[in-house]
This record gives sequence, C-alpha cells and structure tokens, in this order.
Amino acid sequence: MDTSAAGTETRIAHGALPARDKLRLGIPRVLNVWSTHQFWIGLFGALGLDARRIVFSSDTSDEQMREFGKGRGTVDSCYPVKCVSAHYGELLALDRHRRIDVLFSTMIYSVPSFLHGHVVDSLACPRVMAAPENIKAGFLKEGDAFAARGVRYVAPLVALGEPDMAARQLLAALAEFLPGVTRREVEAAVRAGYAALEAFAAAARRQSREILENCARLERPCLLVLARPYHMDPGIGHEIEVDLQAYGFPVLWGQYLPTDPDLLGWMFGAEVAAGQVRSGLDIADVWPSSYSANTNEILWAAKFAARMPWIAGVIRLSSYECGMDQPTYTPVQQIVERSGTLFFSFQDLDSTKPAGAVRIRVETIAHYLARDAAGIIARKRDASPPDCPLAAAPLP
Amino acid sequence: MKTIGMDVGSTTVKAVVADANGEVLWRDYQRHHTRQAEKVLEFLARMQAECGVTPGRDRVLFTGSGAGLLAPLVGAKAVQEVVAVAAAVEKLHPRVRFVSELGGEDMKTVFFSPAGGRIGQVIPIRAAGTAPAAPADLGSTKQVYMQSACSGGTGTFIEKTARKLEIETERLAQMPYAGHTLHRVSSKCGIFAEADANTLVKSGVPVEEIIASLFEAVVYQNLATLTKGNTPQPEVLLLGGPNLFFRGLQEAWRHHLKALWVERKVELPAGVDPDSLILVPEDALYYACFGCIEVGKAEQADSALYLGSERLHWWVETGQHEQKAREGGRGLAGSEDEFAAFMRRYASPVAAPARPRATAASAGRVFLGCDFGSTTAKAVVLDAARELVFDCYVPSHGNPIEDAKGILRKVREAGYTRIDGLALTGYGKDLLKDILGADSAVVETVAHATAALHFFPDADVICDVGGADVKIMMLRQGTVADFRLNSQCSSGNGAFLQGVAERYDTPLADYAGRAFKAKSIPALAMGCGVFLQSDIVNQQRKGWSADEIMASLAAVLPLNVWVYAGQLQNLAAVGRKFVLQGGTHRNLAVVKAQVDFIRDKVPGAEIIVHPYPGEAGAIGAAMCAADAWREGRPSRFRGFATIESLEYRSTTNEDTTCTWCAVNCHRTFIDVALEGAAGRPWSKIALAPGWKRVISGNTCPKGLLEDANEMRVVKTQLEEVKRVHPNLAQRVRDDAFRTLHAAAPAVTAEPARLLPAAFGYFGRLVRRAFR
Repeated sequence: MDTSAAGTETRIAHGALPARDKLRLGIPRVLNVWSTHQFWIGLFGALGLDARRIVFSSDTSDEQMREFGKGRGTVDSCYPVKCVSAHYGELLALDRHRRIDVLFSTMIYSVPSFLHGHVVDSLACPRVMAAPENIKAGFLKEGDAFAARGVRYVAPLVALGEPDMAARQLLAALAEFLPGVTRREVEAAVRAGYAALEAFAAAARRQSREILENCARLERPCLLVLARPYHMDPGIGHEIEVDLQAYGFPVLWGQYLPTDPDLLGWMFGAEVAAGQVRSGLDIADVWPSSYSANTNEILWAAKFAARMPWIAGVIRLSSYECGMDQPTYTPVQQIVERSGTLFFSFQDLDSTKPAGAVRIRVETIAHYLARDAAGIIARKRDASPPDCPLAAAPLP
Repeated sequence: MKTIGMDVGSTTVKAVVADANGEVLWRDYQRHHTRQAEKVLEFLARMQAECGVTPGRDRVLFTGSGAGLLAPLVGAKAVQEVVAVAAAVEKLHPRVRFVSELGGEDMKTVFFSPAGGRIGQVIPIRAAGTAPAAPADLGSTKQVYMQSACSGGTGTFIEKTARKLEIETERLAQMPYAGHTLHRVSSKCGIFAEADANTLVKSGVPVEEIIASLFEAVVYQNLATLTKGNTPQPEVLLLGGPNLFFRGLQEAWRHHLKALWVERKVELPAGVDPDSLILVPEDALYYACFGCIEVGKAEQADSALYLGSERLHWWVETGQHEQKAREGGRGLAGSEDEFAAFMRRYASPVAAPARPRATAASAGRVFLGCDFGSTTAKAVVLDAARELVFDCYVPSHGNPIEDAKGILRKVREAGYTRIDGLALTGYGKDLLKDILGADSAVVETVAHATAALHFFPDADVICDVGGADVKIMMLRQGTVADFRLNSQCSSGNGAFLQGVAERYDTPLADYAGRAFKAKSIPALAMGCGVFLQSDIVNQQRKGWSADEIMASLAAVLPLNVWVYAGQLQNLAAVGRKFVLQGGTHRNLAVVKAQVDFIRDKVPGAEIIVHPYPGEAGAIGAAMCAADAWREGRPSRFRGFATIESLEYRSTTNEDTTCTWCAVNCHRTFIDVALEGAAGRPWSKIALAPGWKRVISGNTCPKGLLEDANEMRVVKTQLEEVKRVHPNLAQRVRDDAFRTLHAAAPAVTAEPARLLPAAFGYFGRLVRRAFR
C-alpha cells in the first residue's frame, strides 16, 4: 500500500471525516431505495449535507456488473440482490473528484406504505433487507475493500415503516459519521425525509389520476405495471413497459395509483358498505396475511386494475425465482383476468433481456390491446357504478 | 509378427498393418456411418484375407473413441488417443513441439518439450534439409489439451456448415483461405456457427468467403481454447482428417501461427521459410494408428495378441443388442395396440390443401397471407369462407424483395390475379409491408394463434416447432397471454432433427417410419444441441443404430421443447388442450413423442396437430387480412404487376456496414422506387424522395436503423410519443434521486406544473372531439 492510501486510512481510523457540508455520501440505487429515494434526500438535506455530494450509484447494467461487480459475488439466488455488488463496487471506484467518504446502505426492515393501517404490516422482503450484510462479505474476503478506499461503510437496520423507531435507529447510525449530531436534529431530519417522500408520491399519484382522467375523457386505454419498486431500475425491469409506452399507451405503476377518497369510494364503496372489506385500501379479501409491503401493494393494485375501466391491460414483472412473488402469481392473475382485463406476465427476469422474445411479446400485447381495448373499457365501465369521479374532472 | 494399429473414431475407422520392421503392409480408412463394430469387423476380415493377419500370432492395438468397448473383444490393447498420437509424433517428428489434431467431433493439442525442458522452451532448429536435431530416445514431456464436449472447432463444425451451403466435399477440400474477406462466424458452438453462416448467405456473401471464415473460426477456437496461454512453438504438426483434407484450413493455421510467432517474438532459425516449420504429413490420418504400432513394440510377447474376430462377430450379431436391451428404454412406438390407436388418431395425412381450381381462382373474395420466415417464404390463399384454396413456398435467399417477388409470382401463376386483402408475418413483415402494400403486418404469435383458434377455439396452448426456433404460446381470453421463444439455441428445434436425419441419409419423410421400427431406445440427455450431438456419438458407440437414435431423438424433443427451451416445469398449469404447429410436427415420430410426453404430464390432455402445421403462420396472417376486409378497409395491395416490375437497387459497401456494435454486420441497403416514399436525404447513401430503403443482412433488430442520423429521427418521434403517453416509472427514474427543492410546496399549490406538457396533445384531441 502506498503512503497516500495509508494516510487516508489513518485519517479514517481517527474518525477525521470532512465537515457535514463537505461530506460525500454514496447510496447504492438498489432494492427498496427505489421506493424510499426521496426520504434519504430529505433526511440528509435537513442534516446539512450538500445535495451535490450525495451520490447515488447508476442504474443497474451488465457493464456495471462486469466493471465493478466481478469477483465480489456472494451466494444469493435473488438477482436484484446479486446486482448490489456492482453498485457497491461502482461507488467505491469513484474517482478522486467524486470519491465518497461514507457508503450508506441501509438494511430496510419495513417501508412506508400507503396501505399502512389497512394491512397487517409493511415489512420488506427479508432477503432484500439483509442484502447489505450479504453483499458486504464480498468486499471483505480478500482484505477490507472499504478501508482500502478510505470509505466508511455504514449499514444500519432501519424500520422505515415506524417513524419513531426509524429515528432512534438512524440516530445511532448517523452519529458514526456526523459527529455531534443530536437526537432533535435527527428527528427533524426524519420528518423532513418522510415529507419529501410523501410529496413525491403525492405528485406521482396526482399524475396517475390525470392520466386516468384523460383516458376516461377520451375512452382510451392505459396500462398498469404490477412489480416491485426496483423493477423501475432499467437493469432489473429491462424497461419492458417503455417498449409498450412507445406504442402509445400511458403506463401507471401500482406504487403510485391515486388513492383519493372520491375515487376509492366509487371503486370500493359498495364492498365497504356490504362489509366485504373494511376500506378501499383493505386487501384482506384477497390476501389475508398482508405482512409484506411490496406484495400488499401489488395485490391492492391488482384489485384497483380490476375495477378501473380504462386500465385495459396489466403487465406483471417479476425477477428470477422470486420467492415473494411466486405465491402471488395466481391470485394476481385471477383478480385481473376475472374483470376481463388483459394480463401479461414477464417472469424470471434476470440480467439478460430476452430481446427477441420481449420484442415479439410487446408487439403481441400491443396488437391485442389495440384489438380489444375498446370492448374491455366498455364492458368494465358497464359493470362499474355510475358517476365516475374521473369523468367529472374539468378539462385541462 | 505383424502389428495392427486401428483408430476407431467418431466418424471413421482408420487402420494400419505393419510388419516387424515397421513397414506398412496395409492401410485404409473409411467412414463407418455409426456402425463402428461392423466396420472394424470388416477391416479385420480384410486384413486376414489381404495381408495374412493371423489370430494368436499378430498383435493388435486400438485407439479412438470406440476403442474401450471393442478392443477386449479381439484381444486388443486400448491405447488412449493422445498417447498414440504422441508416440507416433515422437518417432517420426522428434523436432515437433506442437501438434494439433482435429477429429470429426473432437480436437486435441499436444505441446512437447524436450526431456527436462519446460513447455514453451525453444530448442534450436537447424536449417531445412539437415538431419534431425534431437535424438528420438531422449523422450520428452507432454502437455495435452483436448476437448470433445462441444462441436466448436472440429471437423463436423466445418462439414455441417458446408453441407448447409451445399458444397461438395471435393470442392470444400480445395477452397482456399488466403485472400478472402473474413466475416464473423461464431467459433464457440457449431450450431451458432451454422446460424451465422446462414445469415452471411442471406446477405449475399459468397460461399468462398464463408468457408474461409469458417476455417478462421476453427483455428481461432483451437488457439483460443486449447493452448491455455502456451505459445505453439515450431515445428508444428497438423494431424487428423480436416487438417489434411482442407487446404484452406492449413492456410489458416499457417497464417495464424506465423502471425503469432511474430507477435510473441518466437525466434525462428535463420534462412528457414516459416511455412516449412508447419508440417502436414500426407498420412496425417494414420498417426494414431502408427502410434499404436509404436506402443505395441514395447508390449510383452504375449500381450495384445489378436484373438480373431469371433467375439466381435458375436457382439455385432447378438451382444450389442443384448446390452442395449438391458439399458434401453421402451420403443417410441409402444405396444401394438397403443401404436395402432396412435396411428388411427394421427396418421391420416394432414388435410392436403386443395389444389387451385380455375373457378376458385376467378370467383369470390380471396385473401393472401405470406409468412417470410428465416429459411422459406410461404404463402396461402383463403377463400371468403376462410378455406385454404392454395399454398406455396419458395426458399428464402435473404433478399426480401426477391423473396416477395418469387412467392407472389407463384400465387399469380396459380391463377389469382386479384386479391382482396394481404397480410404478412415473419421476420420480413415490417420491411415489406409498405413495399407490397400489405394491409397488416401481423406478429408471429398473433398469426399462429389466429390460425389455431380458428380451428380450435378452446385451445389452451400452441406449440410451434419450426426449423430454427421453438415458440410456445399460452392462450387466455382469446389472446396470447404468455409466450416462450427459443431462437438462441438449437435445442429442440426441427433443424437439429433434420441435421441428424441427414447424417443418416434419411429424408425427413422417412424419419418416422425408421424411428417407429426401434424396439428399444437409448436415453439421450436433455439440453444443448451440441451436447446432444456428443451424446448421440456416445450412444452409437454403445451400438445403438440409426433407427434407434432417431427414435430417441424424437422422444427427447418434447423435453427440450417444453422444459429446456420453454422453461415450463408444470405443464398441467398451462392448460389441457394442446395444438401442435410448425413443420416439425409433420413428423409423426415427433407427434408420438409429444403425445406421450404431454399425456404423461397432463392426464386427459387433448393433443391436436394443426391441419396445416407448416402453413399456420401464413394462414393466420390471411385470416387477419380477411378481418381487415370485413371491417370495410379496402386493400392497399399494390397488385402483382406493380410488384413484379418493382425497381430496386442494392448497395453493400463500407457505408452500409452496421456500426452499432463490434460485430459490424455487412448489411445490404435495398432501395425500392415507391411512389410517395419519403427518401432519406440525411443518409450517407442519400436517397431521393420516391424511394424507400429496406435494410437486410443485419443480425439484430438494431441494425434496422441505418445509423446515428436515423436513430435521431426515430428517437425524436419516440420522445414525442413518450411525452404524450407518460410512464410513472420515468418520473421515478428522472426525479426521485435528486433534490426536488420546490417539490413539497409546489406540488400542492400548483399541480399543473408537475404534469408534463404532454397533455396538450390530449387537450387537442379533446377539443377536436368536442368540435
């Protein structure tokens, strides 16, 4: 090891990190970071970190894996988890000008969910939660790759689904690299984080509603993607929905559907009145053991699709041998298809985008949507209650 | 005492008889057509008759892939192939440091180093014409690399492709390497190589260049995988049939070895032509046999004595069948009752398409469906009642315009002068849609599903096994809800079956007849076609005949189709009514295997062969054309005469080469004069208005885009579509990972700000709607 690297190590060992506004923080853009993104931006912004010094790794890609993930692999059959190695490697390899001081990779135990209070719990997939521990091992087996780059690795367990608990857990973790950070500061920052996340989600839900309102006015179809948040990562979901978008179908995602009371009342009101469900966000009728946040949201969105006339087709994405998704395949498909909505599932996605097959499937889906959408919309609308709040929206 | 050295290989048997002084008395080599034991027996009989080989006195040694099984039957000693080759090389070419032996289905390299020396150490070589430098008795260390699991880089690899290109062996032998433009041919897998060669043929590359490229691929594969970082040092010896017979292959070796020596700074003796350091002995075929004889010299007096051929004779007549009966599975045909029942249900020749009648041609509405596939272009004509009234096909030559002209000419010659609708499917559909004036370009899945659902409205699954791909379509709600495609690997497709049938000189029409004769079949492994190929060799060696292997190959096909290629572990979950389509299902042996396989997984399954298995795609397309007509859309078909006289010019040069990736496909731009076409003023090969460009010769869809200019044009259009039709994930990708300072307050206060201007488009549409 040359002297400059040794110097860095000494600095780290003494905990002499840069001041907050100069601290460079790396966050791997993986797994549930795809649903908690703005929380972290809000949190660190409130703590006085410079937004320009918060570095997210790039989207997952083969090149990223080849360049940064090689030889770092640990045993894990979950493809999105496996890819985390490459994100770590990329953040550690940043050049002199962008070099990070801290690699911040949280073990997210539970996530904020719009279904909170209507479901049993909002836990993360345990394998996804434990990913940082698993991936870290690949960077320690032949010497400490973090230390060698002068990077402090911070991977706290955080129950983001429980704000008070999350604040306590984050206080301990942040104190490791933000000397003197106070409880009050962290609590305020956590509140800012949730606010930023909620603001983003609210805007996205509003856009989804706008899309649906336009579809309702024009009697045009749109598509809904049922997937985990990380399928928005081009390297994990392969942007299959983008190919369909190119055929002229707006694309909604289950995570960001509108949840306005008027709409929920129109869609689920009768069932609530009949006592079949407790609320428009209750999924006990189709998925009683509603512990897992991402799974819950997929199931609820399937119910939404079944009741929303202008969602003419549903695209299901799921990664290779996903143990969390497997039990949901049949119920989700049945909920969607029973309503007469077209359902297309892309399963076992991994590193390779099966180009030929995907192209043909996308063309196939586009063909049937073009052929059947008008009929599907008409039938679903006939089966819906009158006075759809979407149709009442004013013209833009 | 005489010594027999016999090399029982995967495709040929080679044998040499030498006297006590090592003089060769007799030698021969012949292809055994999978009958190794029979050929060996024939050779032994001839040796006894023609040069007095005598049981109990003479010595016999076997080598090659069939040696282990057959040697004990005649008292022979089995010598490992590499040991045999090395023994011969050390005796005959003591200065050789590197040997490459290519066999039919394997390849080996041997690095020799002088006694005590290390691999790669250079020993002095004297100028040509002087006596050998190293004494033969010194002995040397050897490093051997061999691979026999994959066809890449072997003789079969070359022959298979040459056969596909319809080049006779004699011509192939004389085809040169030097002086030809080389193209990229996959050296990794024989089956991919064949596909690459196909692509090259289609883009009009001369066969000479393709063959030269194949030689290049073989040498590359050998040097890349079988030298393991060692540098082949001079002198080099090239052995085995392919190295001997193919002049071009020798040239490729010379080219690469000389280049390598320069690059790695290998010192060559002064005044020596480097070419003279690469030897291809005339009797290169027999080196393993010579080696056997060498090894025999060191044997004890009573060892490896020839016992005569009685036991081998017994083996040929009885033994091999007994062993197979113990090992084999039940024949494909099954019991007599079962077979009879199968034949009653499936054997009636699939409804032969009615021949065109003059009346059919002139009266009533007719719809034309064309399927431009990778190997053939097919067309069908349906009448107003959607009955098939005519069908025809032409082999595809890679020029979509010519293919289209050819197939339409046949339709017109059959008497159809006017058609009411035209739809296309297959790879060429998008290229040709505007040029022919087709009413729709139907994606393959939809075409196949339409054809199947027309006959069997309650079908659950369509299994289409074509020549080059396998498609599985799962139907729900009258749509193809799920789809599996395997076009990357040959496993389970018809081309592989055809390849094996060709190897056994069996026309496909006779395949089932032969396969049903097998009373017992070997168990072939599921999976990669190349492994399947070597498994076949392995089973041949056990004595399984062509009939039995063909039966077994049909039997393993469903496993490859559904499980390996389709990744469907649970067949019952996909449904119970299965429709088999694709030309491969004309083969009753395949149908029988499919029926057995599906019934086993899905009791009570109904399995139907489509009445027109090979034409289903074209039929489905024609039906889509009929649908369009029913909706009142007049046909856009340009008419036979217009298409026949289409003016076009094709260009293939540096400017048409695809630069999207390192493969650099040699594309051809076919420019067609077409009224109203926009032209391509921005192109490197500019195109005036009134002309339309069709790109062919690309190996992936990206190549359909001419260059960055066209990419920009397409991208702009695409961005506009995306802007108008938003995707929530795009919002996440664009905004979620950056600070949205104004986000929180602005969102609540001013929703419009966060919505893309895209809705302006919707707005326009709305305004138009209310006008």
